[in-house]
Amino acid sequence: MSILEKLQNINRRYIYLLAWVFVLFPLLFPLGLPVPIGRESKAWKEYIENIPSDSTIIVTMDYGVSGMPELYPMTVATMHHLWTDTASKNFKIIVVATWNQGPLVFDTLLDQMNPASTYGVVYGEDWIELGWIPGSETGMAALATDMWSQTPKDFLENRPLSEYPIMENIKTAEDIDLVVSFETGTPGLPEWLRQWNTPYGTPFIVGCIGVSVPGMAPYLASGQLAALMPGLTASGEYELLIGRPGLAVSGLDAVSMSHLLVVLLVVVGNIAFFASKSKGVN
Amino acid sequence: MSLMTLLPVWTAVFFTLAIYSFLYGENPWFRFAEHVYAGVSVGYAVAFNLDYLRDQWVNRWSMTGGMAVLYLFALAMGLLWYARFNKKYFFLYRWTLAIVVGTGIGMALRTVVFTQFLDQIISQAKIPLFISGDLLQSFSNILLIIMTPCVLLYFWFTGGARETGPMKHISKIARYTIMAGFGAAYGYTVLTRFSLLIGRSQFLLGILPNPPEAKMAFITIALVMLASLIGYDLLKPKNT
Repeated sequence: MSILEKLQNINRRYIYLLAWVFVLFPLLFPLGLPVPIGRESKAWKEYIENIPSDSTIIVTMDYGVSGMPELYPMTVATMHHLWTDTASKNFKIIVVATWNQGPLVFDTLLDQMNPASTYGVVYGEDWIELGWIPGSETGMAALATDMWSQTPKDFLENRPLSEYPIMENIKTAEDIDLVVSFETGTPGLPEWLRQWNTPYGTPFIVGCIGVSVPGMAPYLASGQLAALMPGLTASGEYELLIGRPGLAVSGLDAVSMSHLLVVLLVVVGNIAFFASKSKGVN
Repeated sequence: MSLMTLLPVWTAVFFTLAIYSFLYGENPWFRFAEHVYAGVSVGYAVAFNLDYLRDQWVNRWSMTGGMAVLYLFALAMGLLWYARFNKKYFFLYRWTLAIVVGTGIGMALRTVVFTQFLDQIISQAKIPLFISGDLLQSFSNILLIIMTPCVLLYFWFTGGARETGPMKHISKIARYTIMAGFGAAYGYTVLTRFSLLIGRSQFLLGILPNPPEAKMAFITIALVMLASLIGYDLLKPKNT
Protein backbone atom coordinates (compact mmCIF):
# COMPACT_ATOMS: atom_id res chain seq x y z
CA MET A 1 0.00 0.00 0.00
CA SER A 2 1.45 3.34 -1.05
CA ILE A 3 1.70 6.30 1.31
CA LEU A 4 -1.12 8.01 -0.60
CA GLU A 5 -3.42 5.06 -0.01
CA LYS A 6 -2.36 4.83 3.64
CA LEU A 7 -3.21 8.50 4.15
CA GLN A 8 -6.73 7.84 2.91
CA ASN A 9 -7.20 4.83 5.14
CA ILE A 10 -5.88 5.98 8.51
CA ASN A 11 -7.31 3.90 11.35
CA ARG A 12 -9.99 6.02 13.00
CA ARG A 13 -8.48 5.28 16.44
CA TYR A 14 -5.39 7.32 15.53
CA ILE A 15 -7.62 10.22 14.49
CA TYR A 16 -9.46 10.06 17.84
CA LEU A 17 -6.14 9.86 19.68
CA LEU A 18 -4.90 12.93 17.80
CA ALA A 19 -8.13 14.75 18.66
CA TRP A 20 -7.58 14.00 22.37
CA VAL A 21 -3.98 15.19 22.17
CA PHE A 22 -4.93 18.41 20.36
CA VAL A 23 -7.62 19.13 22.97
CA LEU A 24 -5.87 18.02 26.17
CA PHE A 25 -2.50 19.64 25.46
CA PRO A 26 -3.72 23.27 25.35
CA LEU A 27 -5.94 22.63 28.37
CA LEU A 28 -2.95 21.39 30.38
CA PHE A 29 -0.51 23.95 28.97
CA PRO A 30 -2.45 27.07 27.88
CA LEU A 31 -0.95 28.60 24.74
CA GLY A 32 -2.43 32.08 25.16
CA LEU A 33 -3.45 32.38 21.52
CA PRO A 34 -5.01 35.76 20.63
CA VAL A 35 -8.79 36.01 20.89
CA PRO A 36 -10.28 38.44 18.36
CA ILE A 37 -13.69 39.66 19.52
CA GLY A 38 -16.43 38.88 17.01
CA ARG A 39 -19.46 41.02 16.21
CA GLU A 40 -21.93 38.46 17.62
CA SER A 41 -20.52 38.58 21.15
CA LYS A 42 -20.25 42.39 20.97
CA ALA A 43 -23.89 42.64 19.85
CA TRP A 44 -24.96 40.29 22.68
CA LYS A 45 -23.17 42.38 25.29
CA GLU A 46 -24.55 45.64 23.91
CA TYR A 47 -28.07 44.23 23.80
CA ILE A 48 -27.99 43.13 27.42
CA GLU A 49 -26.42 46.42 28.49
CA ASN A 50 -29.19 48.34 26.76
CA ILE A 51 -32.14 46.42 28.21
CA PRO A 52 -34.40 49.16 29.62
CA SER A 53 -34.89 49.46 33.37
CA ASP A 54 -37.87 47.68 34.97
CA SER A 55 -37.87 45.01 32.25
CA THR A 56 -39.29 41.58 32.89
CA ILE A 57 -37.08 38.95 31.31
CA ILE A 58 -37.68 35.26 30.74
CA VAL A 59 -34.54 33.11 30.66
CA THR A 60 -35.35 29.75 29.14
CA MET A 61 -33.11 26.74 29.59
CA ASP A 62 -33.86 24.79 26.44
CA TYR A 63 -31.06 22.28 26.75
CA GLY A 64 -30.08 19.28 28.79
CA VAL A 65 -26.83 18.10 30.30
CA SER A 66 -25.54 17.02 26.88
CA GLY A 67 -25.53 20.67 25.76
CA MET A 68 -23.69 21.91 28.83
CA PRO A 69 -20.14 21.92 27.45
CA GLU A 70 -21.07 24.48 24.83
CA LEU A 71 -23.99 26.37 26.38
CA TYR A 72 -23.31 26.37 30.12
CA PRO A 73 -20.44 28.93 30.00
CA MET A 74 -22.60 31.43 28.08
CA THR A 75 -25.53 30.82 30.44
CA VAL A 76 -23.32 31.55 33.45
CA ALA A 77 -21.86 34.68 31.83
CA THR A 78 -25.28 36.00 30.78
CA MET A 79 -26.84 35.34 34.20
CA HIS A 80 -23.86 37.12 35.77
CA HIS A 81 -24.49 40.11 33.51
CA LEU A 82 -28.23 40.14 34.19
CA TRP A 83 -27.98 39.65 37.96
CA THR A 84 -25.26 42.30 38.21
CA ASP A 85 -27.62 44.81 36.56
CA THR A 86 -30.69 43.67 38.48
CA ALA A 87 -30.20 46.00 41.46
CA SER A 88 -29.58 49.15 39.39
CA LYS A 89 -32.15 48.44 36.68
CA ASN A 90 -34.81 46.66 38.69
CA PHE A 91 -35.00 43.63 36.38
CA LYS A 92 -37.45 40.86 37.07
CA ILE A 93 -36.07 37.54 35.86
CA ILE A 94 -38.19 34.43 35.35
CA VAL A 95 -36.36 31.20 34.65
CA VAL A 96 -38.20 28.45 32.77
CA ALA A 97 -37.22 25.37 30.74
CA THR A 98 -38.88 23.62 27.84
CA TRP A 99 -36.40 20.75 28.12
CA ASN A 100 -36.93 18.59 31.18
CA GLN A 101 -33.22 18.60 32.04
CA GLY A 102 -33.15 22.40 31.97
CA PRO A 103 -33.89 22.76 35.70
CA LEU A 104 -31.11 20.26 36.43
CA VAL A 105 -28.63 22.43 34.51
CA PHE A 106 -29.88 25.55 36.28
CA ASP A 107 -29.43 23.82 39.67
CA THR A 108 -25.75 23.39 38.78
CA LEU A 109 -25.57 27.08 37.89
CA LEU A 110 -27.17 28.09 41.19
CA ASP A 111 -24.69 25.94 43.14
CA GLN A 112 -21.85 27.65 41.34
CA MET A 113 -23.10 31.25 41.32
CA ASN A 114 -25.11 31.49 44.55
CA PRO A 115 -27.04 34.59 43.39
CA ALA A 116 -28.35 35.66 46.83
CA SER A 117 -24.90 36.14 48.37
CA THR A 118 -22.98 37.05 45.21
CA TYR A 119 -25.38 39.55 43.64
CA GLY A 120 -27.75 40.30 46.49
CA VAL A 121 -30.81 39.32 44.45
CA VAL A 122 -33.83 38.02 46.34
CA TYR A 123 -35.63 34.88 45.22
CA GLY A 124 -39.31 35.61 44.64
CA GLU A 125 -38.74 39.36 44.38
CA ASP A 126 -35.95 39.83 41.80
CA TRP A 127 -36.08 36.43 40.18
CA ILE A 128 -37.98 33.16 40.26
CA GLU A 129 -37.62 29.70 38.73
CA LEU A 130 -40.81 28.19 37.35
CA GLY A 131 -39.20 24.95 36.21
CA TRP A 132 -40.07 22.71 33.32
CA ILE A 133 -42.86 23.63 30.89
CA PRO A 134 -44.03 20.36 29.30
CA GLY A 135 -45.80 20.06 25.98
CA SER A 136 -43.17 21.59 23.72
CA GLU A 137 -44.79 24.17 21.40
CA THR A 138 -48.25 23.65 22.92
CA GLY A 139 -46.73 24.28 26.35
CA MET A 140 -45.12 27.50 25.10
CA ALA A 141 -48.48 28.68 23.76
CA ALA A 142 -50.16 27.86 27.07
CA LEU A 143 -47.45 29.71 28.97
CA ALA A 144 -48.02 32.76 26.78
CA THR A 145 -51.74 32.90 27.50
CA ASP A 146 -51.71 32.03 31.22
CA MET A 147 -48.44 31.53 33.10
CA TRP A 148 -50.12 30.89 36.43
CA SER A 149 -52.13 27.97 35.09
CA GLN A 150 -49.23 26.45 33.23
CA THR A 151 -46.97 26.54 36.29
CA PRO A 152 -49.09 26.78 39.45
CA LYS A 153 -46.00 26.44 41.68
CA ASP A 154 -42.40 27.59 41.48
CA PHE A 155 -39.63 25.05 41.05
CA LEU A 156 -37.19 25.80 43.88
CA GLU A 157 -39.51 26.17 46.86
CA ASN A 158 -42.60 24.44 45.47
CA ARG A 159 -44.96 27.17 46.67
CA PRO A 160 -47.94 28.71 44.83
CA LEU A 161 -47.04 31.64 42.58
CA SER A 162 -49.44 33.91 44.52
CA GLU A 163 -46.94 33.88 47.40
CA TYR A 164 -44.24 35.62 45.33
CA PRO A 165 -44.28 39.41 44.82
CA ILE A 166 -42.42 39.11 41.50
CA MET A 167 -45.37 37.32 39.90
CA GLU A 168 -47.96 39.86 41.02
CA ASN A 169 -48.29 41.63 37.66
CA ILE A 170 -47.00 38.90 35.39
CA LYS A 171 -49.70 36.77 33.83
CA THR A 172 -49.19 36.48 30.06
CA ALA A 173 -46.62 37.01 27.31
CA GLU A 174 -47.75 40.64 27.08
CA ASP A 175 -46.09 41.25 30.46
CA ILE A 176 -42.71 40.01 29.23
CA ASP A 177 -40.19 42.41 27.66
CA LEU A 178 -37.53 39.95 26.51
CA VAL A 179 -36.89 36.22 26.21
CA VAL A 180 -33.31 34.96 26.50
CA SER A 181 -33.11 31.40 25.23
CA PHE A 182 -30.21 28.95 25.47
CA GLU A 183 -30.92 26.00 23.26
CA THR A 184 -29.68 22.92 21.50
CA GLY A 185 -32.58 22.02 19.24
CA THR A 186 -36.31 21.32 19.22
CA PRO A 187 -38.26 22.78 20.94
CA GLY A 188 -36.32 25.97 20.42
CA LEU A 189 -36.38 29.27 18.59
CA PRO A 190 -38.83 28.48 15.73
CA GLU A 191 -41.41 27.29 18.27
CA TRP A 192 -40.84 30.29 20.55
CA LEU A 193 -41.12 32.67 17.59
CA ARG A 194 -44.35 31.07 16.41
CA GLN A 195 -45.99 31.25 19.83
CA TRP A 196 -44.45 34.38 21.36
CA ASN A 197 -42.74 36.65 18.84
CA THR A 198 -45.31 36.64 16.04
CA PRO A 199 -48.50 36.88 18.16
CA TYR A 200 -47.17 39.10 20.98
CA GLY A 201 -44.09 40.76 19.48
CA THR A 202 -41.83 39.58 22.31
CA PRO A 203 -38.15 40.22 21.45
CA PHE A 204 -35.75 37.27 21.52
CA ILE A 205 -32.04 36.76 21.96
CA VAL A 206 -30.63 33.25 21.62
CA GLY A 207 -27.47 31.43 22.63
CA CYS A 208 -27.14 28.21 20.66
CA ILE A 209 -24.75 25.37 19.86
CA GLY A 210 -22.68 25.65 16.69
CA VAL A 211 -24.76 23.10 14.76
CA SER A 212 -27.83 25.34 15.04
CA VAL A 213 -26.16 28.54 13.81
CA PRO A 214 -26.90 28.19 10.07
CA GLY A 215 -30.57 27.60 10.94
CA MET A 216 -30.66 30.68 13.19
CA ALA A 217 -29.00 33.07 10.72
CA PRO A 218 -32.17 33.86 8.68
CA TYR A 219 -34.03 34.87 11.86
CA LEU A 220 -31.18 37.17 12.81
CA ALA A 221 -31.17 38.73 9.34
CA SER A 222 -34.94 39.26 9.44
CA GLY A 223 -34.76 40.94 12.86
CA GLN A 224 -36.99 38.32 14.52
CA LEU A 225 -33.91 37.49 16.55
CA ALA A 226 -32.27 40.52 18.15
CA ALA A 227 -28.91 38.92 19.02
CA LEU A 228 -27.27 35.53 18.61
CA MET A 229 -24.51 33.92 20.65
CA PRO A 230 -23.11 31.18 18.43
CA GLY A 231 -21.29 28.47 20.33
CA LEU A 232 -18.29 28.20 22.61
CA THR A 233 -15.97 30.64 20.82
CA ALA A 234 -18.46 33.50 21.09
CA SER A 235 -19.03 32.56 24.76
CA GLY A 236 -15.32 32.99 25.41
CA GLU A 237 -15.33 36.37 23.69
CA TYR A 238 -18.33 37.45 25.74
CA GLU A 239 -16.64 36.32 28.98
CA LEU A 240 -13.68 38.53 28.07
CA LEU A 241 -15.94 41.46 27.17
CA ILE A 242 -17.70 41.42 30.54
CA GLY A 243 -14.42 40.86 32.39
CA ARG A 244 -15.34 37.48 33.84
CA PRO A 245 -13.13 34.83 32.23
CA GLY A 246 -14.56 31.37 32.80
CA LEU A 247 -14.74 27.91 31.28
CA ALA A 248 -15.22 29.18 27.72
CA VAL A 249 -12.06 31.31 27.80
CA SER A 250 -10.03 28.42 29.22
CA GLY A 251 -11.27 26.27 26.34
CA LEU A 252 -10.51 28.70 23.50
CA ASP A 253 -6.96 27.44 22.91
CA ALA A 254 -8.36 23.93 22.65
CA VAL A 255 -11.00 25.17 20.17
CA SER A 256 -8.28 26.71 17.98
CA MET A 257 -6.07 23.61 18.17
CA SER A 258 -8.92 21.21 17.43
CA HIS A 259 -9.93 23.26 14.39
CA LEU A 260 -6.34 23.30 13.24
CA LEU A 261 -6.37 19.51 13.40
CA VAL A 262 -9.56 19.30 11.34
CA VAL A 263 -8.15 21.66 8.70
CA LEU A 264 -4.91 19.64 8.57
CA LEU A 265 -6.80 16.37 8.16
CA VAL A 266 -9.02 17.81 5.43
CA VAL A 267 -5.96 19.17 3.57
CA VAL A 268 -4.00 15.91 3.93
CA GLY A 269 -7.03 13.85 2.87
CA ASN A 270 -7.59 16.02 -0.20
CA ILE A 271 -3.93 16.02 -1.23
CA ALA A 272 -3.82 12.24 -0.93
CA PHE A 273 -7.09 11.85 -2.82
CA PHE A 274 -6.16 14.08 -5.75
CA ALA A 275 -2.56 12.82 -5.90
CA SER A 276 -3.68 9.19 -6.00
CA LYS A 277 -6.34 10.10 -8.58
CA SER A 278 -3.74 11.68 -10.84
CA LYS A 279 -1.62 8.53 -10.52
CA GLY A 280 -4.61 6.37 -11.38
CA VAL A 281 -4.75 4.67 -7.95
CA ASN A 282 -8.23 3.71 -6.75
CA MET B 1 -12.29 14.41 51.48
CA SER B 2 -15.56 12.66 52.26
CA LEU B 3 -16.89 9.69 50.36
CA MET B 4 -20.04 11.64 49.52
CA THR B 5 -17.90 14.23 47.69
CA LEU B 6 -15.72 11.74 45.89
CA LEU B 7 -18.38 9.24 44.86
CA PRO B 8 -20.32 11.49 42.43
CA VAL B 9 -17.09 12.76 40.85
CA TRP B 10 -15.63 9.26 40.35
CA THR B 11 -18.98 8.04 39.02
CA ALA B 12 -19.16 10.93 36.53
CA VAL B 13 -15.58 10.31 35.40
CA PHE B 14 -16.24 6.59 35.03
CA PHE B 15 -19.34 7.12 32.88
CA THR B 16 -17.67 9.78 30.74
CA LEU B 17 -14.75 7.47 29.98
CA ALA B 18 -17.02 4.45 29.53
CA ILE B 19 -18.99 6.31 26.85
CA TYR B 20 -15.79 7.55 25.17
CA SER B 21 -14.40 3.98 25.23
CA PHE B 22 -16.61 3.34 22.21
CA LEU B 23 -13.98 5.20 20.19
CA TYR B 24 -11.69 2.23 20.86
CA GLY B 25 -14.39 -0.20 19.82
CA GLU B 26 -17.53 -1.93 21.02
CA ASN B 27 -16.95 -3.12 24.60
CA PRO B 28 -18.76 -4.02 27.85
CA TRP B 29 -17.89 -0.69 29.58
CA PHE B 30 -19.69 1.23 26.86
CA ARG B 31 -22.66 -1.13 26.84
CA PHE B 32 -23.04 -0.79 30.61
CA ALA B 33 -22.82 3.02 30.52
CA GLU B 34 -25.23 3.21 27.59
CA HIS B 35 -27.88 1.12 29.36
CA VAL B 36 -27.52 3.02 32.62
CA TYR B 37 -27.78 6.34 30.79
CA ALA B 38 -30.94 5.28 28.96
CA GLY B 39 -32.54 4.06 32.18
CA VAL B 40 -31.60 7.11 34.21
CA SER B 41 -32.81 9.62 31.61
CA VAL B 42 -36.15 7.83 31.18
CA GLY B 43 -36.58 7.60 34.97
CA TYR B 44 -35.80 11.30 35.30
CA ALA B 45 -38.36 12.21 32.63
CA VAL B 46 -41.05 10.03 34.23
CA ALA B 47 -40.41 11.57 37.67
CA PHE B 48 -40.64 15.10 36.25
CA ASN B 49 -43.89 14.28 34.44
CA LEU B 50 -45.47 12.81 37.57
CA ASP B 51 -44.37 15.83 39.58
CA TYR B 52 -45.98 18.12 37.02
CA LEU B 53 -49.23 16.12 37.05
CA ARG B 54 -49.36 16.35 40.84
CA ASP B 55 -48.77 20.13 40.84
CA GLN B 56 -51.49 20.65 38.27
CA TRP B 57 -53.98 18.55 40.27
CA VAL B 58 -53.27 20.10 43.68
CA ASN B 59 -53.10 23.73 42.63
CA ARG B 60 -55.54 23.90 39.78
CA TRP B 61 -57.75 21.07 38.63
CA SER B 62 -58.90 19.72 42.00
CA MET B 63 -60.48 23.08 42.90
CA THR B 64 -63.96 22.32 41.51
CA GLY B 65 -65.85 19.17 40.53
CA GLY B 66 -66.05 20.15 36.85
CA MET B 67 -62.33 20.77 36.59
CA ALA B 68 -61.59 17.49 38.37
CA VAL B 69 -63.64 15.60 35.78
CA LEU B 70 -61.74 17.32 32.96
CA TYR B 71 -58.44 16.46 34.61
CA LEU B 72 -59.40 12.79 34.95
CA PHE B 73 -60.51 12.76 31.31
CA ALA B 74 -57.13 14.17 30.22
CA LEU B 75 -55.37 11.63 32.43
CA ALA B 76 -57.40 8.78 30.90
CA MET B 77 -56.55 10.02 27.40
CA GLY B 78 -52.90 10.10 28.41
CA LEU B 79 -53.04 6.52 29.66
CA LEU B 80 -54.27 5.44 26.23
CA TRP B 81 -50.69 5.88 25.00
CA TYR B 82 -50.02 2.52 26.60
CA ALA B 83 -52.67 0.82 24.45
CA ARG B 84 -50.03 0.59 21.74
CA PHE B 85 -48.47 -2.29 23.66
CA ASN B 86 -51.63 -4.39 23.27
CA LYS B 87 -52.63 -5.71 19.84
CA LYS B 88 -56.34 -5.86 20.73
CA TYR B 89 -56.60 -2.27 21.98
CA PHE B 90 -53.93 -0.76 19.74
CA PHE B 91 -56.53 1.44 18.01
CA LEU B 92 -57.17 3.36 21.25
CA TYR B 93 -53.63 4.69 21.16
CA ARG B 94 -54.49 6.45 17.91
CA TRP B 95 -57.07 8.67 19.66
CA THR B 96 -54.41 10.20 21.87
CA LEU B 97 -52.01 10.40 18.97
CA ALA B 98 -54.65 12.23 16.91
CA ILE B 99 -55.17 14.80 19.68
CA VAL B 100 -51.44 15.44 20.08
CA VAL B 101 -50.74 15.64 16.34
CA GLY B 102 -53.83 17.76 15.67
CA THR B 103 -53.09 20.20 18.49
CA GLY B 104 -49.42 20.45 17.56
CA ILE B 105 -50.07 21.10 13.88
CA GLY B 106 -52.90 23.53 14.66
CA MET B 107 -50.70 25.50 17.05
CA ALA B 108 -47.83 25.68 14.58
CA LEU B 109 -49.94 26.52 11.52
CA ARG B 110 -51.52 29.46 13.34
CA THR B 111 -48.38 31.54 12.85
CA VAL B 112 -45.94 29.52 10.74
CA VAL B 113 -46.84 31.42 7.56
CA PHE B 114 -45.86 34.72 9.18
CA THR B 115 -42.88 33.51 11.21
CA GLN B 116 -41.11 31.31 8.73
CA PHE B 117 -42.43 32.43 5.37
CA LEU B 118 -43.67 36.02 5.05
CA ASP B 119 -41.17 37.55 7.47
CA GLN B 120 -38.31 35.85 5.63
CA ILE B 121 -39.54 37.08 2.24
CA ILE B 122 -39.97 40.63 3.57
CA SER B 123 -36.49 40.51 5.11
CA GLN B 124 -35.02 39.33 1.80
CA ALA B 125 -36.82 42.06 -0.12
CA LYS B 126 -35.55 44.75 2.22
CA ILE B 127 -31.87 43.94 1.80
CA PRO B 128 -30.04 47.01 0.40
CA LEU B 129 -27.75 46.31 -2.58
CA PHE B 130 -25.07 48.80 -1.57
CA ILE B 131 -24.06 50.04 1.83
CA SER B 132 -21.78 53.06 1.66
CA GLY B 133 -18.47 52.51 3.42
CA ASP B 134 -18.97 48.76 3.81
CA LEU B 135 -17.84 47.01 0.64
CA LEU B 136 -17.78 43.55 2.20
CA GLN B 137 -21.37 43.78 3.41
CA SER B 138 -22.46 45.17 0.02
CA PHE B 139 -20.79 42.22 -1.71
CA SER B 140 -22.44 39.83 0.73
CA ASN B 141 -25.88 41.39 0.10
CA ILE B 142 -25.46 41.15 -3.68
CA LEU B 143 -24.54 37.49 -3.36
CA LEU B 144 -27.56 36.90 -1.12
CA ILE B 145 -29.92 38.54 -3.61
CA ILE B 146 -28.55 36.38 -6.45
CA MET B 147 -28.16 33.11 -4.58
CA THR B 148 -31.45 32.85 -2.72
CA PRO B 149 -33.73 32.95 -5.82
CA CYS B 150 -31.34 30.58 -7.62
CA VAL B 151 -31.70 27.95 -4.89
CA LEU B 152 -35.47 28.38 -4.79
CA LEU B 153 -35.65 27.94 -8.58
CA TYR B 154 -33.37 24.89 -8.38
CA PHE B 155 -35.87 23.14 -6.13
CA TRP B 156 -38.83 24.48 -8.10
CA PHE B 157 -37.72 22.75 -11.32
CA THR B 158 -36.91 19.07 -11.41
CA GLY B 159 -35.19 16.62 -13.72
CA GLY B 160 -34.22 17.74 -17.22
CA ALA B 161 -35.80 21.19 -16.83
CA ARG B 162 -32.86 22.12 -14.60
CA GLU B 163 -30.38 21.57 -17.42
CA THR B 164 -32.01 23.57 -20.22
CA GLY B 165 -31.93 27.27 -21.15
CA PRO B 166 -31.15 29.79 -18.41
CA MET B 167 -31.86 27.14 -15.75
CA LYS B 168 -28.53 25.53 -16.67
CA HIS B 169 -26.62 28.52 -15.26
CA ILE B 170 -29.06 29.05 -12.39
CA SER B 171 -28.67 25.41 -11.35
CA LYS B 172 -24.90 25.79 -11.28
CA ILE B 173 -25.07 28.85 -9.01
CA ALA B 174 -27.63 27.06 -6.84
CA ARG B 175 -25.41 23.99 -6.45
CA TYR B 176 -22.45 26.15 -5.39
CA THR B 177 -24.71 27.97 -2.93
CA ILE B 178 -26.00 24.73 -1.45
CA MET B 179 -22.45 23.38 -1.16
CA ALA B 180 -21.38 26.57 0.62
CA GLY B 181 -24.32 26.09 2.99
CA PHE B 182 -23.33 22.49 3.65
CA GLY B 183 -19.76 23.61 4.25
CA ALA B 184 -20.88 26.16 6.83
CA ALA B 185 -23.11 23.58 8.50
CA TYR B 186 -20.25 21.05 8.56
CA GLY B 187 -17.86 23.61 10.04
CA TYR B 188 -20.28 24.52 12.81
CA THR B 189 -21.01 20.83 13.45
CA VAL B 190 -17.31 20.16 13.93
CA LEU B 191 -17.16 23.16 16.27
CA THR B 192 -19.98 21.72 18.36
CA ARG B 193 -18.54 18.21 18.52
CA PHE B 194 -15.17 19.52 19.61
CA SER B 195 -16.85 21.86 22.11
CA LEU B 196 -18.45 18.80 23.71
CA LEU B 197 -15.08 17.06 23.89
CA ILE B 198 -13.45 20.20 25.31
CA GLY B 199 -16.18 20.53 27.96
CA ARG B 200 -15.76 16.94 29.10
CA SER B 201 -11.97 17.25 28.98
CA GLN B 202 -12.17 20.31 31.24
CA PHE B 203 -14.20 18.21 33.65
CA LEU B 204 -11.80 15.26 33.48
CA LEU B 205 -8.83 17.55 34.12
CA GLY B 206 -10.64 19.18 37.05
CA ILE B 207 -10.39 22.69 35.59
CA LEU B 208 -12.36 25.04 37.86
CA PRO B 209 -15.27 25.33 38.50
CA ASN B 210 -15.23 21.56 37.88
CA PRO B 211 -14.25 19.46 40.92
CA PRO B 212 -10.42 19.13 41.09
CA GLU B 213 -10.78 15.54 42.38
CA ALA B 214 -11.78 14.53 38.85
CA LYS B 215 -8.16 14.65 37.68
CA MET B 216 -7.01 11.77 39.89
CA ALA B 217 -10.15 9.80 39.05
CA PHE B 218 -9.48 10.41 35.34
CA ILE B 219 -5.93 9.09 35.45
CA THR B 220 -6.83 6.04 37.55
CA ILE B 221 -9.99 5.03 35.72
CA ALA B 222 -8.51 5.74 32.26
CA LEU B 223 -5.54 3.45 32.94
CA VAL B 224 -7.70 0.65 34.34
CA MET B 225 -10.19 0.97 31.51
CA LEU B 226 -7.53 1.07 28.80
CA ALA B 227 -5.80 -2.02 30.24
CA SER B 228 -9.10 -3.87 30.43
CA LEU B 229 -10.00 -2.89 26.84
CA ILE B 230 -6.70 -4.14 25.50
CA GLY B 231 -7.07 -7.32 27.57
CA TYR B 232 -10.64 -7.76 26.34
CA ASP B 233 -9.45 -7.38 22.77
CA LEU B 234 -6.69 -9.95 23.21
CA LEU B 235 -8.85 -12.52 25.00
CA LYS B 236 -11.89 -12.13 22.73
CA PRO B 237 -12.29 -15.12 20.42
CA LYS B 238 -11.36 -14.10 16.89
CA ASN B 239 -13.92 -14.51 14.12
CA THR B 240 -12.51 -16.74 11.43
